[in-house]
Amino acid sequence: MSRILIVEDEQHIADGLRFNLEAEGHSATVAADGETALTLLLDERQPFDAIVLDVMLPGKDGFTIASELRAAGQYVPILMLTARGSPEDVLRGFEAGADDYLPKPFELSILIARVNGLLRRLRWSGQDPAAGGTTTGDVYTFAGRTLDFGAMEVRARHSSHRLTVMECDLLRYLVKNAGQPVSRRAILQEVWGLHEGVDTRAIDNFIVRLRRYIEDRPAAPKFLQTVRGVGYRFKPQP
Amino acid sequence: MSRRQRAIAFFVTLCVLLVAAALALIVGWVIANAERATPLVLGIVSFTLIIAGLIVYTVFLVLEIKRNEDHDTFINAVTHELKTPIASMRLYLQTLQSREVDEARRREFYEIMLSDADRLHRTVEQVLKAGASGQKAKIVERVPVDLAPLVAECVQLARLRHHLTADAIALEAHDDHSPIVTGDAEELRTVVTNLLDNAVKYSGDRIRITVSVAAPAPNTVWVRVQDRGVGIPKKQLKRIFNRFYRVQARGLTQVKGTGLGLYIVRSIAKSHGGRVFAQSEGEGRGATFTLELPRLAS
Repeated sequence: MSRILIVEDEQHIADGLRFNLEAEGHSATVAADGETALTLLLDERQPFDAIVLDVMLPGKDGFTIASELRAAGQYVPILMLTARGSPEDVLRGFEAGADDYLPKPFELSILIARVNGLLRRLRWSGQDPAAGGTTTGDVYTFAGRTLDFGAMEVRARHSSHRLTVMECDLLRYLVKNAGQPVSRRAILQEVWGLHEGVDTRAIDNFIVRLRRYIEDRPAAPKFLQTVRGVGYRFKPQP
Repeated sequence: MSRRQRAIAFFVTLCVLLVAAALALIVGWVIANAERATPLVLGIVSFTLIIAGLIVYTVFLVLEIKRNEDHDTFINAVTHELKTPIASMRLYLQTLQSREVDEARRREFYEIMLSDADRLHRTVEQVLKAGASGQKAKIVERVPVDLAPLVAECVQLARLRHHLTADAIALEAHDDHSPIVTGDAEELRTVVTNLLDNAVKYSGDRIRITVSVAAPAPNTVWVRVQDRGVGIPKKQLKRIFNRFYRVQARGLTQVKGTGLGLYIVRSIAKSHGGRVFAQSEGEGRGATFTLELPRLAS
């Protein structure tokens, strides 16, 4: 049984979600605003396996909640629900640290599938306490850095950084295509499944963050290079 | 500072700099042409016109930027107000379609969906009414309307809709003069309902609303709705009646709406030859809305 936190101020939707998630065999808790969610997760340290997070909330919005959780080192997977659903909003959600998104109104079956998908990824990555805290050994090493996809972590000589699922997926994609340039559009489509007219520059913020994790001098990147007019190239040996 | 505030700051600064440059040019012109009357006068007049033009242009620009901002707020609010009840209804319909649900739950779900449909209907009505209020030429059937039973009926409906007790919305007894006005009963009902809904929405957890119908002068009728809620900052007392405008104050982000309710109220009040105004001692100290209409001579 997984524990899911629903952060939603619309009581009808929150109750409907809780009913369905409980019918799926999970246990669900509802927080009606962001502050309550932050208290549950950060102050009371209540263990949750996934969060269903609405964007338009009273007080702090969903984007703020996601980034505050990530900043505080809380990496529980987040499925964001957004009424606006424009590609820019979706990317803003990913940047804030969300792992998946659904526009409102959503298909119930898709919501359940997405939540289960997040929980499955969590189990694969060995973060689930029920799985005994083991990792799957999905590790990639280059130039003294270790990308531990299992533990969702980047370790360099003097530092280590936790990764969100989205960052993990992006790094995995870059590593898979090591040495070759990959276009921004390909990243949007293959990594995040976004096809519509998204401003492809939105990815750049993610790359900036990844460079901070793996580069000695992020302003002069050696491993994660910009390919002018195309996109990016990951070079394990500079 | 938002993008729009930055834009406003930029254009205001630009205007100040250009005006300063024009003033400097005037001074230069006056010194250079001190002894020639015609160019002196012509120069001063043209520079003054240029300065006036710059100021008018900047004021217009800033007002447009603010209008745009209100418009964006409206689009966001309406998107939310339309999509949320639809999302909720779909969620419950799909639940009923795909799961075994016992009879009691089923009834509860129907209730929820009905109230979502009502919410959606209210939003659509507000948008349509606001659209209709924008059109000036409108034929309205004007008949004598007794406000006392009309207000009593609205209060009763508001109590039902918001699940409130009789003392949460108290209707004060009025004097003997029958408060009769000429107008459209349906529109007047909209006015009172919108004022009541706002009073409930902005009351927070402590709903204590007083509604009164009175005749302060022989030819005037007042309908007053007074709440003890979050109040309105003094500076915003007039702007709240503008289309799309929503009160900006601490802790108000949870109050949802389209920003059209009071605009509709004002339009209807005007078309009935009356007015509506708000009073508030400030944030946290409640607000009183007064609808003033000309009384029909009995």
